Amino acid sequence: MSPDDAISNFETARRRQLRRQWLKSSAGLLISSLLLAAAFHQSQFFTADIGGDPARRILDFLSRLVPELRGEVLFRGTETPGSLSAWFYDLPAWLAAIRETLEMAALATVFGAAGATLVSFLCSRNLMPWAPVRFVVRRSLEVIRTLPDLVLALILVAAFGAGPTAGVIALTVSTVGSLGKLFAEINEEVDPRQLEALDAAGAGLLTRIRFGLIPQVLPNYASYSLLRLEGNVAAAGALGIVGAGGIGLELQRAITYTEFSTYLAILLLLVSVIFVIDLTSEAIRHRLILSQDREP
Amino acid sequence: MSVTSVHTRPGTGSWGLIRGILWTTLGLAAVVAISMDLGLSPKGMAAGFEKLGQFLVAMVPPSDGGDFSRILTALMETLAMALAGTCLAVLAAIPLGIIGAKNVVRNPLFHFLYRRGLDIFRGVPALVWALIFVAAFGLGPFGGVLALAAADIPSLSKLFAEALENGDPGPVEGVRAAGVSPLLELRFGLAPQMAPIMASQCLYFLESNFRHAAVLGIVGAGGIGFELEERIRVFAFDQVAFIILLYIVAVSLLDTASGWLRRTLR
Repeated sequence: MSPDDAISNFETARRRQLRRQWLKSSAGLLISSLLLAAAFHQSQFFTADIGGDPARRILDFLSRLVPELRGEVLFRGTETPGSLSAWFYDLPAWLAAIRETLEMAALATVFGAAGATLVSFLCSRNLMPWAPVRFVVRRSLEVIRTLPDLVLALILVAAFGAGPTAGVIALTVSTVGSLGKLFAEINEEVDPRQLEALDAAGAGLLTRIRFGLIPQVLPNYASYSLLRLEGNVAAAGALGIVGAGGIGLELQRAITYTEFSTYLAILLLLVSVIFVIDLTSEAIRHRLILSQDREP
Repeated sequence: MSVTSVHTRPGTGSWGLIRGILWTTLGLAAVVAISMDLGLSPKGMAAGFEKLGQFLVAMVPPSDGGDFSRILTALMETLAMALAGTCLAVLAAIPLGIIGAKNVVRNPLFHFLYRRGLDIFRGVPALVWALIFVAAFGLGPFGGVLALAAADIPSLSKLFAEALENGDPGPVEGVRAAGVSPLLELRFGLAPQMAPIMASQCLYFLESNFRHAAVLGIVGAGGIGFELEERIRVFAFDQVAFIILLYIVAVSLLDTASGWLRRTLR
């Protein structure tokens, strides 16, 4: 084969490859744009009547969302329109509702983590020798994870009545669903020698879990639970919208009276509480990871 | 106990035991106090679980109540909302992510404030956005699509910014050395690195948006949530079970499709 042949062979092969690549990406592009067009059509995003000229509607919405604050009376009392305290006029009630939200999230995380610990023992390969049990437990956890916590809350509100009880149970169930899987993964990663050593020393199952397993998994359990707590606080904020207690009820109330600026005030309050919780939990999680690294 | 005495580290002897008991007691006391504050009572729980049992019995056998085509349409609408919402979020997050990358805008104060700003709004659930968008723009999926996008934009922008920051500068420098315009630098130096990461993140967000979209109907933002709430309200639990089963099938189909796509793109 002469060098010229080799070059022309290479050129044709390369041209063919480029063409195939081009075809593939344009087919992908075509399919995804068709899908998106169908999606925008089906969701009537551009065709829906939102009550007049869209640009004007959005401006109108924003002007109702942002409160009219006036600099010279900013720190006056609730009666003065234009002051901060007139904007946050129902602050004590909102703070009480936020406390309820936080309590719901905290309780659901504790119950959920406890439930997840038990469930994770049932579906870890190294702790549950019986495969059918592991299979059933894992599939059930998957189903729970598929269901949004708000759908659970909706059904539970119908059973338990409006109030935080339904919210706590809904969040607990979805926490078991997500933490159960994560805990099982942690259990399967443990060093088996510590469990074997205890087994050799003649320890029973509970002793083996207490001294062979718990010390190895506890920092990871705690770190994932804290992460879940952050998520639960945010999720609990929405639960009140379906009647399951917490700040969502106040959000719903603001919308019922079409007080958009009140909605913004509550939202800002909720968001800053979530932010503080996230920062605190992040700091604790970093310390947990560090303490784990220090011990061999 | 013989096993404890093996430990010689401080904090694990008898003092450790006392401390453990103390913390456990405190924790339990906190749980009880919070439960009481929330009004969680054993009596209310028992009554609720009894009712829930009745609901579960009523769920068998599931039935579509003669509304199968309507339920299917609502499910398709939910999927359409998830797709449209993800698309809007990606379109907004690309510029917002570029602005937020440390190696694009180099001012550290701006970077810090901007990223914290994104963090602050990361936690707001889509339903909270939907509530106000529906009040502002009327019933229907329009508000739902906006709400999904609003809930995704902060975290997606952050992910895009991080992907940009972690990009390998080598290929960009290589393309720059060939003396091309900055736009081509992005196209051939950075885009080939970014595209698979971003595509895979978009698919993850699509999956989670399908879950979030399913509840938006509760506040009137269209999709399967409305059908679900309507049937729970009239205690038609056989139809509720049908919708939930159909929804679970749809979610696992979407997750499978998107997982396959993610592996193919990688």
